[in-house]
Amino acid sequence: MSNYLRALSVNPPPRPASGRRGRGVRGGRTNIFSSPLFKDLVSREGEAPAEPLHIKLGRSLAFPNSLIANVVSKIFLAMRLVLAIVLTSTLSVTSLAQSVCLPLPRLLTTMPMGGTVGSQVEITITGENIDGPEALLFTHHGLSAVPKLDANGKAEANKYVVTIAADTPIGIHEARLISRLGISSSRAFSVGSLPEVSQNGPTTSLGKAMPINCNSICNAVMTDKSIDHFSFDAKQGHRYIVHCASRGVDSKLDAVLVIADAEGRDLVVERRGGTLDFTATNDGKHILKIHDLTFKGGPAYFYRLTLLELPADEAIPTFPSTKSVSSFSWPPSGLEPNAATQEAEPNNSNAMAQKITLPCDIAGSFFPAADVDSFEFQASKGDVWWVEVASERLGRPTDPSAIVQHVAVDAGVEKLTDVAEFSDIASPVKLSSNGYAYDGPPYDGGSLDIIGKLEIKADGLHRIQLSDLFGGTRNDARNGYRMIIRKAAPDFALAGWGLHMELRNGDRNALSKPLALRNGMTVALEIVAVRRDGFDGEIALMMEGLPDGVTAQGLKIPAGKTRGIMLITADEKAPKSLADVTFYGKSVVAGGEVKRPVQMAAMAWPIVDSWGEIPSPRLVKGLPISVTGAEFAPISIAPKEKKVWVATAGQKLTIPLQHTRRCEFSGTVLQLKTSGAGFENVPRFDVSLASDSSEATLDLAALKTPPGDYLIAFYGSAVAKYRSGIADKEKTPTSDTVEIVLSEPIAISVIPAEAK
Amino acid sequence: MASLPESNPTEHSRPIATSQTFRFAIFVIALFQCAIVPVLCADEQGKPTSFVNDVIPLLTKSGCNSGVCHAKAGNGQNGFRLSLLGFEPKEDYEYMVKDSRGRRVSLAAPESSLLLVKATAKVSHGGGARLQESSAEYALLHDWIRNGARYDLDSAPKLVSLEVQPNRATLKPGTQQQLKVIATYSDQSQRDITKTALFETNDSAMAEVTASGLVTVLDLPGKVAVMVRYQGNVSVFNASVPLGAAIDSLPPSKNFVDDAVFANLKELGVPPSPLCDDTTFLRRVSLDIAGRLPTDDERTRFFASQESNKREVAIDSLLRSSEYADFFANKWTAMLKNRRDDASDITSNFAFHAWVRDSLLANKPYDQMVRELLAATGTVIANPPVVWYKRVKEPKQQVEDVAQLFLGVRMQCAQCHHHPFERWSQDDYYSFSAFFTQVGRKPTATRGEDMIFHKRGMAVATNVKSGSVLKPAALGDAIPAIAADEDPRLKLADWMSSPSNPFFAKAVVNRYWKHFLRRGLVEPEDDIRDTNPPSNPELLAALEKHFVASGFDLKSLIRVITSSNAYQLSSSPNQYNIADQQNYSRYYPRRMQAEVFLDAIDDLAGSRTEFPNLPSGTRAIALPDNSYNNASPFLKVFGRPENESVCECERIQSSSLAQSLHLINANDVKSKLAKGNGRADRLSKSDNSAEEKVRELYLVAFSREPRSEELKASIEFLAEPRVDAAGNAIDPQKAKQESLQDLIWALINTKEFLFNH
Repeated sequence: MSNYLRALSVNPPPRPASGRRGRGVRGGRTNIFSSPLFKDLVSREGEAPAEPLHIKLGRSLAFPNSLIANVVSKIFLAMRLVLAIVLTSTLSVTSLAQSVCLPLPRLLTTMPMGGTVGSQVEITITGENIDGPEALLFTHHGLSAVPKLDANGKAEANKYVVTIAADTPIGIHEARLISRLGISSSRAFSVGSLPEVSQNGPTTSLGKAMPINCNSICNAVMTDKSIDHFSFDAKQGHRYIVHCASRGVDSKLDAVLVIADAEGRDLVVERRGGTLDFTATNDGKHILKIHDLTFKGGPAYFYRLTLLELPADEAIPTFPSTKSVSSFSWPPSGLEPNAATQEAEPNNSNAMAQKITLPCDIAGSFFPAADVDSFEFQASKGDVWWVEVASERLGRPTDPSAIVQHVAVDAGVEKLTDVAEFSDIASPVKLSSNGYAYDGPPYDGGSLDIIGKLEIKADGLHRIQLSDLFGGTRNDARNGYRMIIRKAAPDFALAGWGLHMELRNGDRNALSKPLALRNGMTVALEIVAVRRDGFDGEIALMMEGLPDGVTAQGLKIPAGKTRGIMLITADEKAPKSLADVTFYGKSVVAGGEVKRPVQMAAMAWPIVDSWGEIPSPRLVKGLPISVTGAEFAPISIAPKEKKVWVATAGQKLTIPLQHTRRCEFSGTVLQLKTSGAGFENVPRFDVSLASDSSEATLDLAALKTPPGDYLIAFYGSAVAKYRSGIADKEKTPTSDTVEIVLSEPIAISVIPAEAK
Repeated sequence: MASLPESNPTEHSRPIATSQTFRFAIFVIALFQCAIVPVLCADEQGKPTSFVNDVIPLLTKSGCNSGVCHAKAGNGQNGFRLSLLGFEPKEDYEYMVKDSRGRRVSLAAPESSLLLVKATAKVSHGGGARLQESSAEYALLHDWIRNGARYDLDSAPKLVSLEVQPNRATLKPGTQQQLKVIATYSDQSQRDITKTALFETNDSAMAEVTASGLVTVLDLPGKVAVMVRYQGNVSVFNASVPLGAAIDSLPPSKNFVDDAVFANLKELGVPPSPLCDDTTFLRRVSLDIAGRLPTDDERTRFFASQESNKREVAIDSLLRSSEYADFFANKWTAMLKNRRDDASDITSNFAFHAWVRDSLLANKPYDQMVRELLAATGTVIANPPVVWYKRVKEPKQQVEDVAQLFLGVRMQCAQCHHHPFERWSQDDYYSFSAFFTQVGRKPTATRGEDMIFHKRGMAVATNVKSGSVLKPAALGDAIPAIAADEDPRLKLADWMSSPSNPFFAKAVVNRYWKHFLRRGLVEPEDDIRDTNPPSNPELLAALEKHFVASGFDLKSLIRVITSSNAYQLSSSPNQYNIADQQNYSRYYPRRMQAEVFLDAIDDLAGSRTEFPNLPSGTRAIALPDNSYNNASPFLKVFGRPENESVCECERIQSSSLAQSLHLINANDVKSKLAKGNGRADRLSKSDNSAEEKVRELYLVAFSREPRSEELKASIEFLAEPRVDAAGNAIDPQKAKQESLQDLIWALINTKEFLFNH
């Protein structure tokens, strides 16, 4: 059972009878969705089913039409397609007044942001587009929440009591809210072992300093243009560790930590997101100041302040943090938790190189400043090894670089010959260049770490020198690394995120996109692969456990390529539902089937101007998909017939399209381009936003499409006059909202001309 | 541009000093020198006129190949182009003899040569007449043309050295000294090139020099130098100008600073002012170290102390304060160009400023700070000094900024030609830039911001003029071979922090000396060169030695300067040292700089200026970048820099009408005085006596009690009835407030408040 559903089951959960469309929980004394409130929330105009939430536990794919589904599924498995959806400048121009993307539910804050294991904690949440909240869910079954009741037994708005079971792992979990529009974006929720308190009002001056105890955590929120003050009693000679979790728990705060004397005079400062390691020089009250690097504040600038007292010789503990997008490619499958070998200093020079044998798995540290770690080994001509180094992916601010040299000795003099130089893991897709218009995702799946091929060109002694290109002047023993040199172990790692749109008027939105589907809507996920050790095969993308009425068609990541698209469509009549979906990629490696999970990434915060505020993408746990059952997509475009469209090579294929329009639009024309390997060069074409149908004509002669099976989709963007589906809909003003429009996937089989 | 001096072809030297005796003595010396040195001009030796050794120097002396004339960047002047100061004789020959179909030089009729008819303005010449037809210079050029306008770069003897005679002298105010310049060539020959050498004094307030090398010492005592330039070589004449007054007593020497300063005063005969009193000292040192007035607590503690070392205690306390770090971070970040060009710069600017500030607070050794800056790698958040590479992107700019800021060397000229005042060649420039050629950049999620890393490879730079490929070298010092894997910037940092480095420590101690004493031992503080000698070389050397020995400890440097009695002299002059501007015989008063002044007004008015994006109460000295100048007319008017230059001279410390008007009637000053719960408002509601109120104001403003006449006048002023425009008495409470506002305003406008003295 998924963690989300486990969480619901504590509530307790409504259990659907099966995963099939149209069936769901009905009645049941404990069904949280059967309340009058819930019924009000799901009722709406039109034909969408006013049914309770369906929660799918099964893992089977559910298609609206099993026959079509089977055909499409086969094609999907067989074709070498990729929907290279880069929404280019063909898209509609938006005005400044327009919103970007239809409203999606986002959980923004919880206060406090965590609690002590084995305790109960009352939290207050905030979010956007979370009207009609139904349940607060967590990624671990040890966490559960119930609405907080007032003295009259009535649920208090946005307040929950979270129970943290004693067996909940220490670390960062995630919370999401299910509400009228469906599943929200996630927010980190920390579970720790120390007692926790919350800030008791403003602490923005020395006089308002809040006393805190050693070995405790304080949850707090920064006030704009302010400095928070806390006080603690220190003893001379005792060592204190101060840590402020902020970016690592989804906060926008770039924390600055200051320890000052009792009069507030600064003694030591840490501004790089690290910890303060302070040994008191006198007994008495000390002041702890916290502020943002640029003195920003507000609800998004929350933090968890930890004050520890540690013995002088004890290592500073590692504080939990969310993971960067780049870390999805670490560790390699099956890697032992701990390295077999430790680097042994001094090993900075060729003369002091540490002797190793291949394969190897070594842990070390880029310390002290300008550290170079040199290792030497014997290798034979023709040997092929793979070198992988992780440091940046371990969360360190490092940039590992490795040089391999062959060592020959002539008359007692060493002659070094470069064999290989290793640097970054390239981003699988072109990244945003932060230009005026969108030209790539702001998710960097690459890394400053290393995965590289080492081909030995001569027998004999070799050296590998490992250094940190960022480490010339920095002394931080925590900048560790792990280096693995292995024989080829071909493999792949996958990550995905909601596809972003390009708008040529300079839109720079960076939005978290929870998969809260509107009925009739097709959404796209962009999937990237980091290929390891020469793995070059195609990768199929699969989802299991979809909600009823939802289909997902993954376009394979073609052989040698690193990008694919997953299209997820909610049927127009799909019931309100939620499922925790299993998303993975599948391929054949060395004759055997290999499945690897797709790790999802999302923006920690919706950012409407990525020039003014730098997006903070990170990996998230799980992939819940919901269907709202409360709102429709503004427009659905689908082929008039759900079938495989057969065409002859060199001929034209005309596909009649059916438009299902559910609102008015700004403008009358929707310009469509075509995605899918072999079809990207289809000239853009216009379809009428005022019409219920159109045609797409594909000139296979011009495209020179060879025979084969293909999957394509048409895409564009339209400015919908969006009206929220809340109660008195007619009185709700519309707002111009630009949104990606994707057709349902269309399967095409091109047959040779002579076979006709 | 100086025109060629009128000269007689037979004239060699002119009387040297006003005194007959002195003149005679010099004449004898000159005769003696003439006797022992084969000093003759070309014609006199019967040798043909040399293009390289005669013609080019003549053009230089005449100003023809200056940057504003025919050596102007681009294409010279009106189609005639020369290399700057004749540094490229081969090119000059092409320009003069071969360009424009050779019409500039007429071998058949030399006098018709365009070169001559233009120079004498016989035909229209934008530069006017540069030569007289009757002059020796004209004759020289004419002869060169008549003899075939020969090119002799390869055959002519090379200039080896330059000597000015005398090279050192003690000159009383008002006297003169004729200089003589001897050039030595590769064939051992020597020539008197006084007429064609260029002369320039390093302090025109102390001495003047004519184009023919006659030095006239004015009435300021001290040290002055005259730089002599000739064909890329330089030499210096150093003059000591004593006042010659009797010195009965000197303050006791507290450290080597005093030793050097007082020895110099003794040598020059400039009696110093006495030591300043405690109140003056506390205010002075607080403004200089922490950029603020003394706090109430500091005043109380200091005045209550009976300890003999209470001044040292106060210095140490100020050095521990976070305002010290704020104030000096303000100084450094301006020179390091922490400039806001775009709203998105805020994070990097705040991070960079904070890195400087925190480093100063922690008293990170100066060489370590510079090392972290020079060799910065990584991201803004993880390693803020990389922001410098965001601001200063081009290797050339990096070279020039580093040299000027950290080494006190101005390298800009050497990018395009040999430095005219210095020994730096283009090779020196480009080999220095080679340190920065392996700076790699990777894009980040922030627009315009890169991750900085060391790009593997051999660091080399190409001299754009010669095309030669150069390895890293530091201002003439060879650097051990740098492997491809090594970041050359770390090697540069190693070289800088070497105790024997002749530039690094000297530059910063001179800069800091100027911060506290108003005038650098070398002026400008970032133009340290042989031709611009220090006013007190022994002191500069001692400070440098101390700083290196202390482990590049900036606080120690400040401590040794501010605890000296030389620093603690009164600013009130005596009858002798009123004109002294160089020898530190008294403290030279300075107007508070913009940020300090604004904070001081806030302190006195009991208000605080609000700044965007910063917590209420943030002092102006703690502002992270220049963006606040836009929101604060006060800062702009009083000269806060825009952080565009590596030179401290970007800060405007001169006075202006706008400043006066601002203090008299600017709204921001008025509103500070009238601020609710401000000092005037608070005192108006206080039950304290008028005397107590006046005493409070004087203590805050001047760190001293009011004198009896000041007290009396102030109390009387506060007691005066106030009437409105119609002559009616205004509300008593309001009247009290307004009177106090006026009194505070009057105090703000006193020189005693405005200046650190």
